[in-house]
Amino acid sequence: MKVSCTVNGDAVELEATPDEALLDVLRRQLDLRSVRPTCGIGVCGACTALVDGEPVSTCLLLAPLAEGREITTVEGLGGDHPLQRAFVESRAFQCGYCTPGMILSAKRLLEENPSPSAHEIADFLSGNLCRCGCYLKIVDAVTRAAA
Amino acid sequence: MADPRVTGAARYAEDVQLPGMLHARIVRSPYAHARVLSVDASAAGEDVVVLAPDDVRGLRRYGCQIKDQAVLALDRARFAGDPVAAVAAATPQLARAAADLVEVAYEELEAIFDPVEAAEPDAPLVHDTAAISDNDAAYFDLRPQSGTNICHRFRIRHGDPETGFDEADVIVDETFQTAGAQHVHMEPHAALARWEDGRLELWTGTQTPFNLREDLAGIFGIAPEEIRIHCPPMGGAFGAKTFVRIEAIVAALARKANRPVRCVLERSEEWLTLNRHPAVIRVKVGARADGTLVAKRVWCWADTGGYADCGPGVAQKMGFAAPGPYRIPHVWVDSRAVYTNLAPNGAFRGYGQMQCVWSSELAMDLLAERLGLDALEFRLRNVLREGDRYCTGEEMHDVHFADCLEAAARGIGWHDDARGKGLAVVMKGMQTPSRAGIAIERDGDRFVVRCATAEMGQGARRAISLLAADLLGVDVARVRFPDPDTHLVPYDTRTTSSRSTYVMGLALERAVGDLREHGERGYGEIEIPGGLDPDTGQGVASHHWHQAAAGAEVRVDEETGKVEVVRLHAAVYAGRVVNRAGAELQNEGSMIMGLGTALLERIDHADGHITNANLSDYEIPSFADVPPLTHDLLEREGGEIHGLGETALPPVPAAVGNAVASLGLRVRELPISAEAVLAAVDEREGVRA
Repeated sequence: MKVSCTVNGDAVELEATPDEALLDVLRRQLDLRSVRPTCGIGVCGACTALVDGEPVSTCLLLAPLAEGREITTVEGLGGDHPLQRAFVESRAFQCGYCTPGMILSAKRLLEENPSPSAHEIADFLSGNLCRCGCYLKIVDAVTRAAA
Repeated sequence: MADPRVTGAARYAEDVQLPGMLHARIVRSPYAHARVLSVDASAAGEDVVVLAPDDVRGLRRYGCQIKDQAVLALDRARFAGDPVAAVAAATPQLARAAADLVEVAYEELEAIFDPVEAAEPDAPLVHDTAAISDNDAAYFDLRPQSGTNICHRFRIRHGDPETGFDEADVIVDETFQTAGAQHVHMEPHAALARWEDGRLELWTGTQTPFNLREDLAGIFGIAPEEIRIHCPPMGGAFGAKTFVRIEAIVAALARKANRPVRCVLERSEEWLTLNRHPAVIRVKVGARADGTLVAKRVWCWADTGGYADCGPGVAQKMGFAAPGPYRIPHVWVDSRAVYTNLAPNGAFRGYGQMQCVWSSELAMDLLAERLGLDALEFRLRNVLREGDRYCTGEEMHDVHFADCLEAAARGIGWHDDARGKGLAVVMKGMQTPSRAGIAIERDGDRFVVRCATAEMGQGARRAISLLAADLLGVDVARVRFPDPDTHLVPYDTRTTSSRSTYVMGLALERAVGDLREHGERGYGEIEIPGGLDPDTGQGVASHHWHQAAAGAEVRVDEETGKVEVVRLHAAVYAGRVVNRAGAELQNEGSMIMGLGTALLERIDHADGHITNANLSDYEIPSFADVPPLTHDLLEREGGEIHGLGETALPPVPAAVGNAVASLGLRVRELPISAEAVLAAVDEREGVRA
């Protein structure tokens, strides 16, 4: 079936089966590799995309439900977004696998709360796991981006 | 240019694609131990390529230390999850559907899951023989015990402990346990194989490209040079991406299909691929009334699962670090790697050290308490100092255990009030012996580093590039470090044991000197000698020792058994810091992973089946689990570079355990569960009543 939606500002028509996760469709058809398959059950946040501005685990979102929605992946931020700069300046990643999801969740946080405390950042991002354990520097990066 | 890790441009092994490639799925044994009677794939469909035991019967066995593994379980499946067949189809969905249609007939056999029972002479055997591998990962003398499940036995024989214990006023004799754990590297194992004219080309996230190449060459009976391995950066590894994992199956499928084949594991399969060794460790240690240690004996059982993998090496390193960084006149250690019918256990950040630190450092606090001594003072009275000889006979140099302990104690305010606080110290060996080569090529006004060191997030590429830039006297932006490719990079032992920055740094000095002499390309090599006699433990265990201590402060809810770490501090000897931000990240990451080990992570089993193979039931630390956490990098002018990839992990669980113990709550098993804490409360109250 066809799914019409906006991805990183472009109107696109995705081809998907009704049981396919948006994660797989974004990776396969649009080569958006920043949404990453990891836990497969919506607990790790590595496949996060913003759907109408809200962080969503795309491994759990069936592709047909993206119809008419606006989807943003980290590729859509361009590379010079304040959060991307702050993550680099704070050295807030190691392997980088979870980083796109972290940045997108943090983007939503800063829209809701432009100057969050360290505790609020940790609380909001607790659905994004980082096995390298960069948590302290991620909090630092989000604080830096908010400043 | 922005870092690819923040723009989405980063590419890992799972992202590599080739035209016409097929997708693989592995068919696994549902039994922990079973004879494989037949494999019938006739229902899988004509478009599906099936790899069955008969397809791989002619291929040779492999194993980095013991050759105990075939590409598929041929006649016997040795753990629940052992690959018995594999399929390749046009899409991952089709491959999954086809795998479900493969019918395998089994005859269930008696299985064994406890490493202490499995080491007994009458235990059912997981393997009939143990052929020692010719892979250079079998770098030490292996001692499989014929007719038993012990695939390696390592001993230290230093002095005579019985004489020593006669001099002791207080002796502690306790048995400790640690649970199996999953690495949970965020990027799953992924490999892509292609054959052309009898030559194999492979893209895989691996820490051990040359060991992998050697084992694959053995399996397929071709020269190592006919295999080319490309190593994209890994989305985390922590020891899991070592030696042969899924590469042999993927390569065998690609050869049969005559097309490229890729396999990306599902998350649940990671628990069936490689985990951390569960261990049982008995520690008997004695001291005089004045607090001088006199004798120690340690018995380790490292459960290596259904295949040895590098379990022999883990048991050896667990054994040789188990005495701890103390002056002890009489030390005997008996450490064994034992087969059981669990999924294979292998390299895991800390490599056997966490298990022996947990056991030995908890025993030290028990001893201090019975002697009526402060746990810090007791350690400082016995700790190894510059020029001391360790129980292996090697002379210790650049020794900073006391500095680490004092810094860890300061970091948690030990001297204000030690209640609810705990300390632990670690000595961690670096791969010894080992060899590393590196080349530098001139490319216009830039330089290219040819180096097998794999990037898995630890920042090795950055650190080595910084070292190269420094030696060349150029800005680091002019140094390029492409992904390792075994056709283009010199031999290196492997990216493990926190050795790469140090050994590659030494090799680089030679390579840059050679470049100055020869103009276009410079090559440098370093060989680190050493090793131990496995029967006596004498020799050189580690060219230099990684050293750290941790301090933890806890709050325990004695109604619920919940342990809350309220402060955590680690002090790690770094020698010379190359990349400060990277060094800090490695310390913080190690400490956080150590907290997971201390409080959260345990692989659960029922009849050999893993019951929590998902990230909902198996919890790893999230933002919400990180307490106030600080650390020191201890530096010394002119000091050697010390790798920092692991050192801060092993002392963290023991520091937390000793903090809990300071409240009179004796927990002997990791992770520290609420149930165990409640039982310890009962035990304490029972003693008082």
